[in-house]
This record gives sequence, C-alpha cells and structure tokens, in this order.
Amino acid sequence: MFRNVHIINDLRQVLRDSVMASLLMAPALIIVVFKLLLVFLAPAVASRTGLDITPWYPWVLSFVLILNAGMLGVVTGFMMLDDKDGNIAELMAVTPLGRSGYLLNRLSFASVLSVFYTFLCYYVLGIVALNVFSVAVLSVLLAVYSASIGLLMFSGAENKVKGLTFSKALNLLILFAFADLFSLKWFTVISWFFPPYWISQIILNPFAFQVVVIAVAVHIGWLVLLIFHYFKTAE
Amino acid sequence: MRLWNAIKADMLFQFKQGFYFVYVFVAVMYLVMLSFLPEKIFLIATPLIVFSDPSVLGLFFIGGIILLEKGQGVLTVLVVSPLRTSEYIIAKVLSLGFISVLAATAITFFSGYQQVNWFVMVASAMLTSAVFTFSGIMINAGCSTVNQYLLKTIPWMLLLTLPCIALVGFPGSWVFTAVPSVAALRLMLGAYWGIGWVEALLLIVYLAGVNFLLLKWAVRIFENKIVFQE
Repeated sequence: MFRNVHIINDLRQVLRDSVMASLLMAPALIIVVFKLLLVFLAPAVASRTGLDITPWYPWVLSFVLILNAGMLGVVTGFMMLDDKDGNIAELMAVTPLGRSGYLLNRLSFASVLSVFYTFLCYYVLGIVALNVFSVAVLSVLLAVYSASIGLLMFSGAENKVKGLTFSKALNLLILFAFADLFSLKWFTVISWFFPPYWISQIILNPFAFQVVVIAVAVHIGWLVLLIFHYFKTAE
Repeated sequence: MRLWNAIKADMLFQFKQGFYFVYVFVAVMYLVMLSFLPEKIFLIATPLIVFSDPSVLGLFFIGGIILLEKGQGVLTVLVVSPLRTSEYIIAKVLSLGFISVLAATAITFFSGYQQVNWFVMVASAMLTSAVFTFSGIMINAGCSTVNQYLLKTIPWMLLLTLPCIALVGFPGSWVFTAVPSVAALRLMLGAYWGIGWVEALLLIVYLAGVNFLLLKWAVRIFENKIVFQE
C-alpha cells in the first residue's frame, strides 16, 4: 500500500511534467511509424525491387520491441542521473522510502510501460503469430531489460555526457538480437550472454521451453548483477 | 591560439567521456553489418549509415555537453574569460566534427567501398556534423534536463530528415536541396556514387554558407537564452 501511494504520486508527477509524459509516449510513436512503413513502404519496395521482407518480420518485431524497451530504460536512466546531479537519490535514501524503494519506484515506470508497449506493439504491428503466453513472457523480459538499461546507465555514468555515451553504446546491444543473421559463430556465442538475443529467439521459437528458461535466466542474471552493483557502489 | 586551445580542451574532454571509445564500437558494429549485405544493398547502405550516424553525432552529444557545463558553472566563467562565445561554439563544432570525420572515414575505408571521393566525403561529414551541432546548440536553449533536450530534438530531426525522401526523385524534388540536410545527403551520396565537381563545389559552398548563418544564429541564442537566460 505504502509503495502504491509512492508509485501513484510519481505517476502524477511524471504526467504533470509534459516532457516526461511525452517521452514515455514516444514508443507509441515508434510503433505507429513502423506500422506505416510496413503498410506503405514495404509493398512499394517489393514492387520496385522485388525484395520481399515478409520472412524478416520476426526480426522487425524483435527490433521494435527491443528499441522501445531500451528507450524507456534510457529515459529512466537520464531521470535517475538528474536525481543524482540534484542529490535527490541521496535524499531518498534517508527517507522511509529508502534506497531500494527509490530504485523500485524509478525502475517500475520503465518496466510497467514496457509490459504495456510490448502488447500494444505486438497487436498493432500484427506481423508475427505468437500465443498469449509467449507475448506475456516477452513483456516481462522486456520489462526486466528496460530496468537493466536504466540501472546500467545510472551505475555506469557519472554525469549526463557519460550518460549519453552509455546510451549510445547500449543502443548497440540491439545488434545481438540479429546475431543468427550474421552466421558468425563467435558473434552468436557472445550474443548468448545478452538479453536482446533471447528476445528474438523467443519470437523465432515461441514453443521452445528451453529457450524461455535460458532467456529468463539471462535477464534475471543481468538484473541481479546490476542491483548488487548498485547497492555495493551506493554504500 | 585561444580557439586552438579550446578545441584541444574539448577533444580531451570528449576522449575522457568515452566518445572516441564508443565510436570504435559503433564503427566495428556497422562494419560487421555491412560485411553481410549483398553488393547492391551495400552500395546504398554505406553512405546512408555514414550520413545517419557519424555525421549527426553532434546533435546527440552537444545537448549533454552544454547542460553539464552549465551545471558546472563553465558558462558563467565563459562570460568573464577572453574566449569569445563564437570561439567556444566553433571549438565544440570542430571537435565533434573531427569524431564524425574519423568515424565516417574508418567505416568507409574498412568496409572496402571502392572509388570513394575522399575529399567530398570528408567535407560532407564535417559540414553535416556542423549543421546538426549548431542545431543542437539552438535546441538546447531553455532545456534543463537531457530528457527535455532529447524530446526537443524529435521535431527538429523530423524537419531535417523527412525532406531527404525527396532524393528518391519526383517532379520538382530538386527544390528540397535548399534544406541543409538534403544538400548534405546529396553531397554524401555523391562522394560514394560519383558527382560532378561543379555540383560538389556548389553544395559545399552552400553548406558552408548555411553553417556561417547557423553560427551567427547559434551565438545569439547561446548568449541570450543559455548564458544570460533571458
């Protein structure tokens, strides 16, 4: 109940800030842009060049899902970096909310929105047939991914500029989702350790239980490591 | 001398913040991607990648740099230092442009792209980078957080990138060359696909002129809105 009140207050605060509210709406814009590209541009390219992109649809869905989750994570990361600059994070640590409460409040935004946008993206794009269970698993994993990106930025960057450098580097993680396309064994092996690879694997193999298990393990592993690092550096 | 020192200081700062390091990774990732593309798509994708990432990196980074320096009180010191505002801005534009040129050259060279007009490519990367960095400085006015800045860049990016579709070609599409980003992309594509020297020279002169006007505008906005916060 206590935390619900904080979450609702934070939500009100974010919605009052038009900038934050707009940024949190940005994934919706990306989904619309990709829908328009698929409806108008893809047939035009196919008729002009004969290039049929339908076999690539699972990769397109992976790209948009990871892009949105990553973006929400980056927005949260910058929000937390601003808190760091204003010593708000330190202030929160001595309130009843505590360090973990602060972390939960900040990261839950990106995560809750990631769940929502995963479902929205899947149904609006409508380019890959998945069962509801797979979409639900994807939404939870992408929520964890968002939180991990936010935490990575907060723990790794000491200022806004380093935050931008970090976000640039973190954007590159999306490439791991396409590791299988490159047919490079070493690249695929490296990709196994990164969440984006497993997002695309679930989309490609929605009925493979072992893929889901490994995906969950990799995502949770990253999150636990980052939370551990956060508390260690905060001490 | 003041300008040169400012450029050196900015480059050192950017190095310490990991700009060069991150662009090594960016370049490697793009090279891996490009190596898997069929020849026909590779020829189109290379100039588009060079234009869309290394050339516009200034817009992405300048917002954070100015906000950080504002927070650290650097801009307040700037007012009483011998360094002119224009020199401060030019140092930022040139130092970020240097990374753009370096990344663009590395991607092009190691991708094995044949018959590149290197002079036009370097000029295009530098001039494009300057256009976007100047835009970033102007967008920064009134921003107090990076999220605010990133949000404000969205309409500018749409305004600058959407007209580039005109390069696909339709009746009267040449009019869009007046948009600096379209002129810059035309020049960049010319560096890879071939371009007449008259057209290249006209585009370079045009973009240099646009950058001069943007510098004047950026100095005014920077002094009024960012330093003195009128």
